[in-house]
Amino acid sequence: MNPKRRQKNDGGASSSSIGNEESPKRRLSLAKGQQRFGFLMVTPSLVFLLVVFTFPLLALIGMSGFQMQLARPDADSWIGLANYVRMLSDARFWHSIRLTVIYTISTVVLQVAIGMLLAVALSANLAGKLRNLLRIVVLLPMITAPVVVGLVWRTLLLTQRYGLLDFVFIRLGFGTQPWLSDPSLALVSVIVIHTWQWTPFAFLVFLASLASVPEELYEAAMIDRASALQRFRYITVPILRPAIVIVIIIRVMVALRAFAAIFSATGGGPGTATEILNLFAYRTAFTAFNLGYGATLGTTLLVITTVTSFVFFRLRSADQQ
Amino acid sequence: MRFPIRLAVVVLGILLLSVGVVWARGEQEEPDPVDPEEFPGYAEADVNWRALEGESINILVTPAHYFDKMRAVTPEFTRLTGIEVTFDVVPPREMRERAILDLSTGRGEYASHTGDPMFLPLFVANNWIEPLDQYLDDPELTDAGWFNVDDIIPLWRGHNTIDGQLYGMPVEGEATILIYRKDLYDELGLEVPETLEQLRENAEALHRYEPELSGLALRGFRGAGQNMYIWPSLFLAFGGEWFDDAGELAVDSPEGFAALEYYVDVLTSFAPEGVVNWNWPEIMEAFAGGTVAQFIDANSTASTIENPAMSEVAGKVGYARWPEGPGGRRVTSIWNWAMPINAALSESEKHATWLYLQWVASRETQMRSATYLEDEGDIYRTGVNRLSIWEDPEYQDALGFPDEYFDVVLGSIREDTDADWRPRIPEWPDLGEELAIAVQNALVGEDAERALRRAADRIRAEILVD
Repeated sequence: MNPKRRQKNDGGASSSSIGNEESPKRRLSLAKGQQRFGFLMVTPSLVFLLVVFTFPLLALIGMSGFQMQLARPDADSWIGLANYVRMLSDARFWHSIRLTVIYTISTVVLQVAIGMLLAVALSANLAGKLRNLLRIVVLLPMITAPVVVGLVWRTLLLTQRYGLLDFVFIRLGFGTQPWLSDPSLALVSVIVIHTWQWTPFAFLVFLASLASVPEELYEAAMIDRASALQRFRYITVPILRPAIVIVIIIRVMVALRAFAAIFSATGGGPGTATEILNLFAYRTAFTAFNLGYGATLGTTLLVITTVTSFVFFRLRSADQQ
Repeated sequence: MRFPIRLAVVVLGILLLSVGVVWARGEQEEPDPVDPEEFPGYAEADVNWRALEGESINILVTPAHYFDKMRAVTPEFTRLTGIEVTFDVVPPREMRERAILDLSTGRGEYASHTGDPMFLPLFVANNWIEPLDQYLDDPELTDAGWFNVDDIIPLWRGHNTIDGQLYGMPVEGEATILIYRKDLYDELGLEVPETLEQLRENAEALHRYEPELSGLALRGFRGAGQNMYIWPSLFLAFGGEWFDDAGELAVDSPEGFAALEYYVDVLTSFAPEGVVNWNWPEIMEAFAGGTVAQFIDANSTASTIENPAMSEVAGKVGYARWPEGPGGRRVTSIWNWAMPINAALSESEKHATWLYLQWVASRETQMRSATYLEDEGDIYRTGVNRLSIWEDPEYQDALGFPDEYFDVVLGSIREDTDADWRPRIPEWPDLGEELAIAVQNALVGEDAERALRRAADRIRAEILVD
């Protein structure tokens, strides 16, 4: 709670109960004491945040200004922005940026589209019990750890010849498909995996929003002979709009930072076909042991995520006014 | 004033305690000599095994049946020396990250770990680990005659040696060999391939033989320890050299292109679909399940594929050394688990760790851990570090593999490679990763020459800059 507001309220309460005997000076010190107490109470969490969040973050940004490679300890030195200059001319970096953009946009669009379709299709026609069951079922992918999701897809579903998907494809006469070994198909696969895991989130948010739409709106539209498409376009979408925006914001932020499922399904491969920026940063720092350059890539990802969410939040508040 | 009785009690207590401690220290005797009855094989070593009684060391190991055996026999070491040994068992990648975290911060939490030789130059460049020669040469700590370091497979020691100093003690290892279905070879009248070209022909014949059967599998997954565990052998067998006379990286040479084209050709033509994501476990499983007719990988896979409980092809398997490449060489991979000594330890901890390394790498312990069986379904270790054990009929009988297996493995680790199979430079993890990407990119369709050139350019520009 805002300490200033508390100070005002408490001041009012005391003056009414004790009367006007209390001097303004004493009231002020009481307020001050409360403020101090307030700070005291939040100090542990502030210190905790500083230690586990702010300090590593500053260390990361600082490290990005160093030449720091475990393989060449003698060459460690402050090099300013040289890592960033190098990054801008690194084809592998631009490749990872391109993949990050493709991955983020396609997973978010798919989640919103499929989530909305499912919510609209199921919200009207479901009895209460079935709906509750459905909610539990759709929660399952979300509560599974992404690294497990990646492994399950890699082994059970996408293994060639023996996986479930190939089983179906071979039965249908399409033959085995290189789900994770063809560069383009591998990218499609990791996009599908992410969409599969997180569409339920969009679905649940939309389902909740739809529940708040008054039935009368649709009845009135039906009396005016609005088609189903028109009802969707002019009633459902405007009502869902705030929910759509918030889903997009949250999902974009998560997709930009995606890691575990791709890491366990393809390891960023084949070659670098699914190596989004986050994986590239990890590989650079922890496989190639180039800590300085890895920190540079990590900082860049941080900037991209921060700027993107900032822009989205600005758009949202502009939208609300 | 009252007599401060509590204070007096405390002071008296402290006095008594310190007297007790001093007295106890004075009483400490020379350690008992090791009883030959109790420790046959170790008592004959002229080493004061109990010199560091009471020390304790902590070791990082990966989960693997051979290290399970090593851990299982270690209580014997504690009884022999009075040194406590605790293990943290962590999968390879996490283990490496933890070891590097410990080494780089100088905390000295882990006295040693089951290390990958390809990281030793990196550790040495940072002065994180101790040269082992000083302990090997110290008569107080080592009985050179009993330990007989020359018996430890020379190529493994060579690969773990940097600037003339041994940095990692080989405790377990392997060679890559050709493992093939003898029954199918006989049915089709195929000869064991002497050259890579013949290997290709055999793969083609086997691949055509049955629709469900693949002709050949090699590691396709990318990584300095995955596809770059196999491709370097091809590269060298084609006559490639890592560096030219001027010391410049030379993998983008005609030999390099030819080696990569060969690798891509045999895998895209004769390997199972999806091999691009396969590491050794997938290949071994497929061979054990009878869907792959031959593969080149570690000899240690024999423990599984010769075990009827785990393999459908047990008893139908033949072994051969790597076929010769156009460069006129057979080249096997070098691999051993190399245990270093953490430089951040105290002197007595280092000595205790050395005693452990000496013990675990000794012929006596290697034999014991190799033949230690947890239960009936357990398998023997095939990665012993000593030539004399490999040649020992007792060990050969215990393993029960076909006779040729031992000639093949011994021939491979004696003759078929050199210590610079992979360059021993600190930049290798980075460099190997870059080449691993190129090799995998070529496997999924990029032109081999282009992929290799691109990787080599990036390595020269970003990794090997001076």
